[in-house]
This record gives sequence, C-alpha cells and structure tokens, in this order.
Amino acid sequence: MFAVSRIIVFARFLCVAFCLVKCWGICSVASEAIVLSASPPPLRSGEFQLSDTDRSWWAFQPIRSAAPPTLRKKTPTPQPIDAFTRSALEAQGLSHNLPATRRQQIRRAYFDVIGLPPSREVVVAFEQDRSPLAWEHVVDSLLGSPHYGERWGRHWLDLVRFAESNGYERDGAKPYAWRYRDYVIRSLNADKPYDEFIREQIAGDEMAEDLLKQGRTSDAAWKEALIATGVYRLHVWDDEPDNTLAAEYDDLDDVLVTTSTAFLGVTLGCARCHDHKYDPFSQSDYYSFLSFFRNIEPYGQHHTGGGGRGTGGITKPLALPSEIVRWDQEKAARVRDLEKQMTSSTPQGKKALEEALQKAKDTPPPYDVALTVSESGGVVKPTHVLIRGRFDSPGQQVHPAFPVIFRHEPSSMSSQPAVTLSSGRRRQLAEWIASPSNPLTARVIANRVWQHYFGVGLVRTPDDFGRTGEAPTHPQLLDYLASRLVLQGWRLKALHREILLSETYRMSTDVRAGKALQRDEGNQWLWRQNLRRVESEVIRDSFLAISGQLNTKAGGPSVFPSLPKEVHGTQDSVGKGWGESSESEQNRRSVYLFVKRALKLPLLEAFDFANCTSPTGMRSITTIAPQALMALNDEFSQQQATAFAHRVQRQGGTQPTDWIRHAFGLSLQRSPTATESRQSLGFLSDQTNRARAAGQQDPEFVALRSFCLSLLNLNETIYAD
Amino acid sequence: MTADDLPSIPRRRFLWEMGGGFAGLALASLLEQEGFGAASAAAPSTTPKPPQLPKRAKSCIFLFMFGGPSQLDLFDYKPELQRRDGQTIQNEFRRNTKTKAVLQASRRQFRQHGRSGLWCSDAFPHIAQHMDKLAVIKSLYSDSFAHGSAVLQMNSGRILQGHPSIGAWMSYGLGTLNQSLPAYVVMLDPRGGPTTGAPNWSSGYMPAVHQGTVLRTTGEPILNLRPPGGKSPAMQRREIDFINQLNATHQAKHPGFSELQARISSYELAFRLQSTAPEALDLKQEDAATLDMYGIHEPKPDWHPFAQGPAPFGRQCLIARRLVERGVRFVQLYSGGGGAGGQNTWDGHHGIEENLKIHCPEVDRPIAALLTDLERRGLLDETLVVWGGEFGRMPVSETFNTGGKSGGRDHNPKGFTYWMAGAGVKAGTSYGETDELGEGAAVNRHHLRDLHATILHLMGLNPQHLTYFFGGLNNRLTGVVEPEVIRGVVA
Repeated sequence: MFAVSRIIVFARFLCVAFCLVKCWGICSVASEAIVLSASPPPLRSGEFQLSDTDRSWWAFQPIRSAAPPTLRKKTPTPQPIDAFTRSALEAQGLSHNLPATRRQQIRRAYFDVIGLPPSREVVVAFEQDRSPLAWEHVVDSLLGSPHYGERWGRHWLDLVRFAESNGYERDGAKPYAWRYRDYVIRSLNADKPYDEFIREQIAGDEMAEDLLKQGRTSDAAWKEALIATGVYRLHVWDDEPDNTLAAEYDDLDDVLVTTSTAFLGVTLGCARCHDHKYDPFSQSDYYSFLSFFRNIEPYGQHHTGGGGRGTGGITKPLALPSEIVRWDQEKAARVRDLEKQMTSSTPQGKKALEEALQKAKDTPPPYDVALTVSESGGVVKPTHVLIRGRFDSPGQQVHPAFPVIFRHEPSSMSSQPAVTLSSGRRRQLAEWIASPSNPLTARVIANRVWQHYFGVGLVRTPDDFGRTGEAPTHPQLLDYLASRLVLQGWRLKALHREILLSETYRMSTDVRAGKALQRDEGNQWLWRQNLRRVESEVIRDSFLAISGQLNTKAGGPSVFPSLPKEVHGTQDSVGKGWGESSESEQNRRSVYLFVKRALKLPLLEAFDFANCTSPTGMRSITTIAPQALMALNDEFSQQQATAFAHRVQRQGGTQPTDWIRHAFGLSLQRSPTATESRQSLGFLSDQTNRARAAGQQDPEFVALRSFCLSLLNLNETIYAD
Repeated sequence: MTADDLPSIPRRRFLWEMGGGFAGLALASLLEQEGFGAASAAAPSTTPKPPQLPKRAKSCIFLFMFGGPSQLDLFDYKPELQRRDGQTIQNEFRRNTKTKAVLQASRRQFRQHGRSGLWCSDAFPHIAQHMDKLAVIKSLYSDSFAHGSAVLQMNSGRILQGHPSIGAWMSYGLGTLNQSLPAYVVMLDPRGGPTTGAPNWSSGYMPAVHQGTVLRTTGEPILNLRPPGGKSPAMQRREIDFINQLNATHQAKHPGFSELQARISSYELAFRLQSTAPEALDLKQEDAATLDMYGIHEPKPDWHPFAQGPAPFGRQCLIARRLVERGVRFVQLYSGGGGAGGQNTWDGHHGIEENLKIHCPEVDRPIAALLTDLERRGLLDETLVVWGGEFGRMPVSETFNTGGKSGGRDHNPKGFTYWMAGAGVKAGTSYGETDELGEGAAVNRHHLRDLHATILHLMGLNPQHLTYFFGGLNNRLTGVVEPEVIRGVVA
C-alpha cells in the first residue's frame, strides 16, 4: 500500500504539478500595477480599443533591471541569479537542494550545452579537479566547442520550423536550405550578437545590398546576411493550391506567425481574420505587420488552371553582379564557339563536340547559390485588411506599422501609419525587433535560453507572452537576464555562462519528502534542478558517441540515412526526394540529417522531434512503447550496439569484468557498482548460453552486443539528472 | 443536463506528456481510478476518456478512396446527365477557371436497392446489397481542386499542412480502449502511400502520442516490432529484465520521478506488443468462410498492371474488424496509392470506366463483407464506418490532363458523396442532392467540416468542445467556422 500511495503522490507531483502552475491566477508575485496574470482572460469584444489593462500587461512594459535582492540568510556574495531564485524561495519559506554530484553536473552541462555525453576521462578529471575554477573551465570549454552551435542551432531550427522540403503532394526539395542551417550554427558558435542575428534573418538582403554599396565586397558578411534570409523560405509550400492568390497570403501568414512567435513570443497570427480574442492586437495590426513582408517575391508563381507551378525567385547566387555577368558571358562564349565548330565538323567529331557542348551548358557556375528572400522592387503592392481573412475581400488599406500597443499612442491614432516606408521595410522591422527598447525581444530569448537549462522557462509558455500564456515565475530574474543580455552586447554565450555558473543550475534534482515537495511539487520556485530526458537528437548522437561511431564533420549538404522500405513505402512514391549517403556520413550528428516533411526519421520522430511545420518553442516529452521498440530493435540501435561491443572488446581488456567496467565508463561515465557488476556478469553468461544454444556464431560477442544494447536503453543513459 | 453541458476536454495544453502505454499512460489511468481526476484530465494521454456526448460509436473505420471516387458512377444517379450525354457546357475545372467541356453520362447501370430504395450502380454489386445500412450524403463540398491539399483537408480539416488528423483528434479526445495497441491505425494501399504521405496521419501540433501508426498487413505489422536477425524472444526478454534491473537501481536513487517508472513500463509493453500486435493481425484465427467472404483468396487479375483484386483491401478490412474488436479507436484504410494522376488510384483522369473496373472490385466485396461481419458480431452498433475520398469527379469528359483523349473525369470538390454506416447512423438514408448534372452540391449542401462534425458527434464528441490550445488559439478539427452536425443522417 505504501508503495502505491507513494507512486501516486509522486505521480501527482509530476503530472499535476505542471497542471497546477498552468492554471490561471497562480502567480502570486504580482507587483505594483503591472498585471501579471489574469484569471481566465476576458474575451475582447466590440470595437478594438486599448485599455489601461492592455497597456499595463507585464510583457509590454519596458525591461527594468533590478538589483539582485539581498537574502535574509547570510550568504557570501551570491551570484545574481542565485540571489533572485533564493530570495523567491525565502519568500515562500522553502529551502533549496544541495549541488548535484560532480558527475551529475558535468553530464548535465554536456547534454545541455553540446548535446553529447562527456567521456569518462573528462568526468574523472573534473571529479578530481578541486580548483575553484574547475567548473568555469568546464563551462568555458563547452561554450567554446563547435558542438555548442550544433546543439543550440537545433533549438533555433525548431522555432523557424526548419525543413528542407515543401510538403504537400510533390514535397519538392528546398534548394540549399542547409546553408541556412549552417548559418545558424556558425552564428551561434561565433557568438554573433543576437540583435545582428535578428537583423540578418529579417533583412539580410537589404543589409547585403548596403554592404556591397559600401564596397565591402571581400567581406563574408554580405553573403552571411543573404543566406540568413533563407528563413523566409522554410515554410510549407503548396505548389498546387486551390488558388494561388489565397496561397500567397497563407505563405505570408506563415512568415508573420513565425516571425512574431520566434522573436517576439506573441500570437499575432490570431488576428488574421478578426481582432485578437485575448491580446491587444487588432486585425489592422496584423495586416500592418504583414505589409512589412508584402513586397517579398512570392515563393510560388501565380498560376491559374491547375497543375503544379514553379517557384518564384527563391535563390540567389552568392556572387557579385560582375562575377555573374562574367560567368554568363564566358559560358555563352564557350557554347557559341562549340556550336560554331559543330557546323563544320565531321560526323565523328560532331559526337565529341555534342558532348562538350552539353558539358559546357551543364557546368555549374563557380559561385555558390543560397536559398534567400528577395523583393521585386519598384512599386510595392498595397496591403489591405482582409475582411474575415479572405484574400478576395479587401478592406481598409494599411501601411507598415508595429502593433499599436507598442506605439504608446492613443488608440485613435491606430489608423495612422507609424512608419512610412517605400522600401527597406523589413530593415525597419528588423531594427524595431532588435532594439534594446523592444520589451519582448530580449525577454523572449533570455527565457528560451533559460528553458533549455531547466526544462521549463521562467515563462512556461515560451511562445506566448500574452494573456493565454503564463506569467513569469521570477519576473525580476527574467528582466535581469534580459537586460544583462542587452548590456553585454546581445552576446548569448555570456548569458549561457552566467546561467551555467549559477548554483541554481548546479543543484541536484533530488526530491525529498519535505516542505518544498509538499508546497511546490512542480518546482516553480526552483528549489531543485529538474530531471530531464534528453531530446531525440541527443539520444541518437549519444548512441553514436558511446559506440565510437560519431562523425563530427560539420556543415554542408544534408545527409540521408538509410531507411527501411516500409518507411519509404509511406510516401506516394518509394524513395521520392531521398538520397544515399555513405555510412560514415550517416554517422554524423542529427542536426545534419535531411529534414523531409513527408518522411521523418522514425527514431527521431518517436522521441518527439519538432513538428517542422509550426514554430516549436517547446517540444513534447512523451514516453511511449514505440520508443522502446526503436531503441531496442531499430537498425540504427543495432548498429550502434554492435560498434559499441566491438569498441569494448578492443579497448576494454580480455575479461568480461573488464568489458563491463569499460562499457559502463563509455555509456554512463562511471564504474558499475558491485551489484551491477554481478548482474551484468549474470546477464552475459545467460545470453552467451542462449546464443550458443541457438547455434549462433561467436556467442560471447552476441552476448556482449546484447549487453551494450541494454546499456544504451537505460534510463540513466538518456536522462540528465 | 444537455449534451452541451457536459465537461469539455480541458482547453489548456499540458506541458509535460507522460506515458508508458502504447501511446498513453498506465499511471494516469491508475490515478483516474484512485480519483485523481485532475491529473488524467490534464494529461493528453490516450487513457480512455468518457465521451462528451451520450455514447454512440466506440470505434471508427474510415475507408479512404484516395484519388477521388466518381460519385456519378457509383451512388449519385443523375437521369439528366444520362439524357444530355455529349452536350457541351461551360465547366469550372479549376477554381475560377472555366472551359468548354462535353457532358459524359455514366456507362454504369443504376438501380434502387433494398427497402430504402437507395441508388447504387452496378459497379458495386456487393455494397448494393447493404444499401439499407447506409446513410448516403450526396451534397458535400470542400475547398480544393488539388489532391495534396484536398487529402490533407479530408484528414485534418485544413487545406494547409501541419494540423492534427481526425484520428489524432479521436485519440486525443477519446483515448484508446486497448493500451496494447495504438489508438489510431493507418493501413496503406500496397501500391503506395497517398499524396503528401505521413502528414496525413500526423498529430500536427499535438504530441506524437496521437499520431497514426502505420500497420502493415504482411510481414512485421509495426516498424521495429521484433529484434532483427536471430534474436530469440527469450533473449530479448532477458535484455528487458536486465534493463529493468539496472533501471530499478537508478530509480531507487531518484524516487518520485514517475516518468522513469513510465519508461520502465513502456519496455514491458513493447515486449508484450510482440505478441499482441501479431495476434490482432493473425488471420489464421478466422474461418475459411470469413476469409472467402472478404475475398482474401482471390488471385490478382492480370488484365491490368495496376489491378490487384479484392485480396489486399479484404485483408485490411478484416484486420480493421479485428482491431476495433480489440478497442482501437480509429482505423483508416487507403484504397489507391502511389502518385495521383494514374490508374493506381481512384484518380480517373485517363478513363473512368477502366478506373472503376480496376478499383471497384478491389473494395466492393471487402466492404460488403466488413458490413456483414460487423453486423453479425454485434459490432456495427458500436462501430462507425465511413466511406469516401478527397473529392468527387466531374460530369464532363476530361481533356485537361489527357491530351484531348476523352473518357476520363477530372477532380470535383464542389459536389461529392460520402456514406456512413453503423453506430448512430440513420440507416437507409439518402441525404442531400447535387444539381441535375451532378456537378455541385445543391440541396442540403454541407461543407466538409460538417462531415467531420458529424463523425465526431457520432463518436460522442462535441465538435465545438473538442479543442486543443496551440498558438494562442483553441483549435478545432472543424476550424473557426461553427460546423453543423448533419442531423439528417443521425439516427
């Protein structure tokens, strides 16, 4: 009975706790006149008007950096983050956990920062390094690793619903989408200021033009900026929509929703057909915002009468106009020359010439091409409020403008354009989003960074800072982090570093019966670190790292893993849009695998991969039986278990006890306990006998492989505690 | 208390999904039994949930005729079209794009059947014997002329990719009655998947728990169900025991984390699935007469490279029956597969007669058998059977895709037919009409969202109350426009 009730208590603590904090009105730290949480948000109705309540919504207030609070309990100069979290705990009368073990800390940090487990040696070295700077050294080496960008780049790719195919019937490939993926990884690794990262993605083409005008042609910056605008082309795209004009607005909507969600954490997209039901965004705000994008060359050609359609100008050469002209001229000259020779050639010579001609025509230019946005230039198409969101019922004309709530003007001014632009619209948008005075941008990204270190953000709805979202549990801490980010030149790594160095991050996950557990089952006051399963990519990459098969090559065109024919059979044509990659390429990190909308990798999908169609600030974490089938029986798991077993045999020694110790070291970065050793030996012996009885070759190896596969499947292997 | 007063599925999305079952959470049902209703109400698991409306169907079998079957040659008899065969009219063959086209009468013979006198053509001689069980809706319309978006809309309510499919909504709203099987199963045509592939059974922005599981009717039914190459069940059992042993030690150091326990349970279930899933698919348990009734022993015809006879779809229909017997909520079967545009699907551009000759015999006997079988086992009262495609076809002879060769029919989302049978359905009903030529829905017109609303309603779900909070919005299968349950087909 005791066991059952314990399970229930703890299950409640996990299941219900998050539910409780999801309920309205839980946040009791409401301060001053700022509205922190409304209990159930009132539906807006009637004519759109801004109220005082709208203006006082917490997320729309300027970011105010408060000094870290003084703690009642005497602590020698706590770090600011800890001062904030502990002060909140003091206010609740709760105490916090002790630090996790050193092994736990370093495993946690490896998973969180680079998405790979540490080696046994790294763990031991840290366990033995008693210098006060030991942890700082770990943190700095992780943030300096090129794997940091691969890990955190993937978080960003979730937000911009990155995929390399269009979806729908033909699910055609998006050319050079991987260059955008590499841009993201490169930018994070280089610790590019976040405001620059924003500007490049929103208006990189306009920035590139400026850079070229300034004669900065040798600078890689203009190419980077162009590649960054690939973000505009990542949405699903129907090449055979019922109506291409309606589809053009659907595509613009997708861009607007993604931009406003990823950068601003608001659900502006809800105001497409009517004023927002909860937040102070009018339909006019929506279309004014949309008009920033109105001049973008559409993804698809306008087309009537059915059948598939071609794309518009969605790529650009990464070359100067003069280089392009030169190449075109050279190519034309070569073709002309060959064609001329053909006229006076013998039949034998003609064949060779034909081949040469084909080759001349097919030779790709000596410069790269990127997936980019572009504007058609000239007169910008007008933007109208579309009544009920219908493309064929235009209402009042609007101009580029930021939502009225951010303009701090009376609502009667709402029909007046705040920004008058004839061109360079997106540059203006980029500057506004990337501005330190934008109340959302820094908060939203600081919250996202925090979230990936604790499993949940300070705002637990990272994509919704509006009324249907959650209020921050630690509003002052959030503002502190946001303002620190801006002060430090929008350098994200500084933010990461500060979080990683905090004691709050390093606490143990222990759940002990006691006051904290009773009072705050859901850990909203951060009395402990959260136990977290790692994401699908980290699971796959960890298997590769443990087996020793991980190919750490960075960047370049995406990799196609081999898939069983049953998986290919779910497409309308087997193998459509799928390529073949060598085995070593297939062993690269998951972020480099091709993301095809119609054919997701079953292993990744089973473990809650991003949906790749809508911005995903927070993935689901589910635990379901098909995951066990994947981790036990999938070809990939088998391959890694085999390689792992070979590695153990090769490096581990000659005796089963040596193998066991080495395998534990590789997968769990620790030695087995005496009990575990005994259990492992028993297992090896049983499996050897079974394999032998079944007449399998090399029964000892079969058993060892089974042992290695089991280790890959352990909870401990894929949980950061 | 009226149906609308019943509690709705909580509108807020839960942050943490817990599991352990095939797709759900054994623990949540434990909590539910212990009276911790709040937990189970919040967790989007597939734990069985009480229906929102007085209970009707327990399960749904959706027979998807991919490519778009021709209502004009099957159920929607149009004497005026027969009379005006060969006349030229203006035909809107794509949105706002018209062309001159020649009316093409059906070459099939129509007859009224049963006590209800419902029309059915001789293309479906076996289904025709079950007309008294059907409610035929002849006045549906939807939003897209193209396969990609039309198939997505039929499955998810939206022409835009990325939304949860109807099976995902049922899994979310009703859970599963058998934790050892998925709540939502999809079976594909051996000729290939439908246009757009897996996004058609995706859970969209819902957790992956709710997405459809593709079940294969030959070979291993579920991907990675068994260990590859020679590993005996005993060896895998030992593996799982060993994993459990080590996990238990780990868990002892982390008391209170039920997700660790859930993952341990998930391995047990995974192992159990190796026997339960094949058992559900094991047709050896069926007697010879049943197999024969479904046409499972019929040879593949050799007159056309794409024709496959009734055996594959028959097998799927029989498995569908076995699945709903075992509590699977939503089973979707595809007839027609591989790229649209050819005779491998119901997409009869290149000759409607040939298309019907290929596809009708493939599904006719199996579907009739399914209805017979469900009825005689008492399952028809708790199973909803839905038949239809992503759109219908035009009354004119197509020239658009055929290089001028006549005899085909083009897509038609403006008027098409679905039928339903089983639980809660008003049997023997013909509902709604197209215009006199059978081109557009004319009498009792219903948008496709109304069909979805009706299906949800028959499953005991309130289409307005079944919402999922995402992107700042309470999303519904039926979208923002309030749908209307098609009362005329509800008993």
